[in-house]
This record gives sequence, C-alpha cells and structure tokens, in this order.
Amino acid sequence: MSFEADIVVWLPVMKRYARALTGDPAWADDLVQDTAERALSRWHALRPQSNLRAWLLTILRHLYIDQLRMHREIAVDDENAPWSRMPAPPGEVDTLVLRDVQRALYRLPIEQREVLLLVGLEELSYQEAAIVLKVPVGTVMSRLSRAREHMRALLAEDPCRKGSALKVVRTVVKSTP
Amino acid sequence: MNDDRDYAKPGPGEPDLRALSALVDDELSDAERAATLERLAVDADAARRVAHYRAQNAALKALFAMPQETTRCLVLHRRVPWWQRAGVAAAWLSVGIMLGSALGSVLGLTPNWILPSLSADQVAFAQRANIAYAVYAPEQRHPVEVAANEKEKAQLVSWLSRRLDRSLVVPSLQEYGYALVGGRLLPGEAGPAAQFMYQNAAGERLTLYVTQFSRDTAAVGLLSDGGRNTFYWANQGMGYALSGQVPETHLRPIALDVCGALGGHPESWR
Repeated sequence: MSFEADIVVWLPVMKRYARALTGDPAWADDLVQDTAERALSRWHALRPQSNLRAWLLTILRHLYIDQLRMHREIAVDDENAPWSRMPAPPGEVDTLVLRDVQRALYRLPIEQREVLLLVGLEELSYQEAAIVLKVPVGTVMSRLSRAREHMRALLAEDPCRKGSALKVVRTVVKSTP
Repeated sequence: MNDDRDYAKPGPGEPDLRALSALVDDELSDAERAATLERLAVDADAARRVAHYRAQNAALKALFAMPQETTRCLVLHRRVPWWQRAGVAAAWLSVGIMLGSALGSVLGLTPNWILPSLSADQVAFAQRANIAYAVYAPEQRHPVEVAANEKEKAQLVSWLSRRLDRSLVVPSLQEYGYALVGGRLLPGEAGPAAQFMYQNAAGERLTLYVTQFSRDTAAVGLLSDGGRNTFYWANQGMGYALSGQVPETHLRPIALDVCGALGGHPESWR
C-alpha cells in the first residue's frame, strides 16, 4: 500500500529520465506508465532494503530497450524524429546552445546516452548507475567518460556552431525530491 | 554497439580522462581528488575538459527540468496485453477463490491475515482510493479507462460489477453539479477495485472508489492529504471512498448522500 505511494513519489524522476532518454514526451509518458505498472505487479521482487529509485529506473530502462527495437525505424538524424520537435525550454537559457546539446545527446549511442543521463542528470552514484545498467562500476566510469568526450566532439564538430564554446547562460536548476 | 569508439581511452601522452569525469561526479577518493586537482592547476586542457563536463551537466538539467505536473502519469492498467490481462484475471480469480473458501470455512469471519485491521493505520483501501484520486483526477488524456456519460452508465456499471463480482450501484451526483465521466478497474488490497469519476462544469473531479471490504465500520473516516480529502466507510462487505480536491465541508454532505444511496448508514456519522 505504501509501496504505491512510494512509486508516486518517484514519478517525476521517472518521467524526467524517460523524457531525456527518449526525447519524446508521449513515448516517455507511456514508458512511465508501463514502468509503474510493471513495478506494481512485481513489488514482491523488490528486496526490503534495496534502492527503489534504482529499481524503478532499471525497469524503465529494460522497457525502453525493448521498445527501442520496435522504434528502430527512427533514424537518429531524422529531422522528423520526435526530439527534433521537442519544445525548447523557456527563456532563462540560451536555447540555441541547448538545442545543440539536445541534438548531440540523441546522436550518442544509447549506451553512452543512458549513463550520461543517469549520472549527469539524475545524479546517481556510479554504484547506483552500475546497478541500473547491470555493468561493473568500472564500466560506468569509462563509458561515462567516453560519453562526455563524445558530446564534446559532437558539439565541436557542429558546423552551425562556429567554434563557440558550450555555455549555459543562466539555468534554473530544479532540485530533486 | 557503437560504444567502442573509445573517446576516453588515453592516447599516447594523453591523460586518463576518466579521472576528470569522476572529479565532476565527486566519485574520487581524497587522494585521487587531490592529485586530479593538482593536475588541473597545471594542465589547461584538462581544466577545460572538466569545465565542459560540468557545463554538459548543467545543460542537461536545463533541458530536462523536473516535470511539474507530477500526477499526470497513469499508474495502472492501460493497454495491457491480453495475456497479461488473462494473468491478472486469473490472479484475482485465485484471490477470490482463496477468499471465498477462507470465508466459507470460518462461516463469514474474515481471517485477520487477509484484511488490515481497522484500528491499525488508516484503512488501506482509503489510502488506495486517495492515491488513485491523486493519480487519475489530474489526468488530461486518460482520466478514465472506460468513458461513460450518464446514459451509457449501465454498460460501465455492469462491466465493473462483473469484475468485482458484486452488483454495483453508482449514485448520481447531478444534484451537486457533478456528472459521471467513466470508470476504471484497479487492483485493490484483496481483489479488484472500481474507481468512478465525476466531473463538474468547472472541470473539478470527484472519485468514488469501491472495493471488497469485509468489515463494517460504524463510523466514517476522513483522510486529508494536501488539499485532497477522502471520506471512507464500509457497508455490507464493500468499502467505499469518496475523494476530491475540495474542502472537507464541501465533500462531507456529498459523501453523506452517497453513503445513503449505497445502502449505508449516514446517520451513524454524526
């Protein structure tokens, strides 16, 4: 019973991660829905002392990867891909630069994107990310390092960017619950 | 996998970039951290990389703010594949059989291990009702699983009655300006539960949650949680909960009426 309430607490986190991962708000909503549904039907599989957030994100990731196979027809550079139509966040940030970051993010291989989002966005520890991704901590570390360098390379090579450095003019960082 | 493009692998004469990344994430031991900071002081390229990594994090957080409409997610039952439905139905059936046989064997006395005791924490079904309201009432896309206006009500009620194995009654709240929008089936404590949703002209919603609950509570209970109120009671083997994001004083007379309409004893509330 309180398990449901616990899940509700993590809904915003799941939703944010799903949006970032898929780049598609509608898909993200479905993923969160599916995740919550699966979590509720499998709550007995959750060991008492385990980390609920990591467990939920693990389920979400599995579902995403399953669904990715069905979505494979969307090419990453496709101008019609959902994330290319994703609304840019409102005024406080330099939306042009953020849009480049967004583009670069979805050009990363999924393995790099997910670790970058788990640690860089969701602020999971390497240990927690290792649980979600089912890989050793060392792999999290090196994959993440590759992801960041890959982002750097993508942002530098973008011809529209004329070599300007990545900068965030002003961000309003929302705190996590 | 494209992950093999090894951007972080230290090339000849190139520093290990993993430490720079781990510095940003605060994942280094004290000694490693000190060493890395020293390195940054003399290595402008490493310092630029660390700054870039931090900027990436900030950009990600700016791009993906925490959703504000936290409850616009559905939690239960939509687009469930048939085989899963069959599984769920079978599970409920077995619960039903278990309950039925248990009840039969003790001549109507409900074993304690099946239902939570009333005095211990708040009645579980009321909590579920309360959460179900929080989850579905703000939902724009799928507030209900099966839509039904007052005319189509019969079909919805017969579907949910079949699932709950009870003949359900859905009281009209027209008098209070709330019309039935539809309903959904949810898993409850000891079997399925039905949630009926009503909405008024201003778009405000109330839900009536109905589930099996084998004890009668003489009195009504009230759960209040962040502006959300749930009145709950039990009667003739069923638990009922009326929830709304409305003041208690507004909800109470409606709940009294609903209780009466459902064969309860609102007079005992006073």
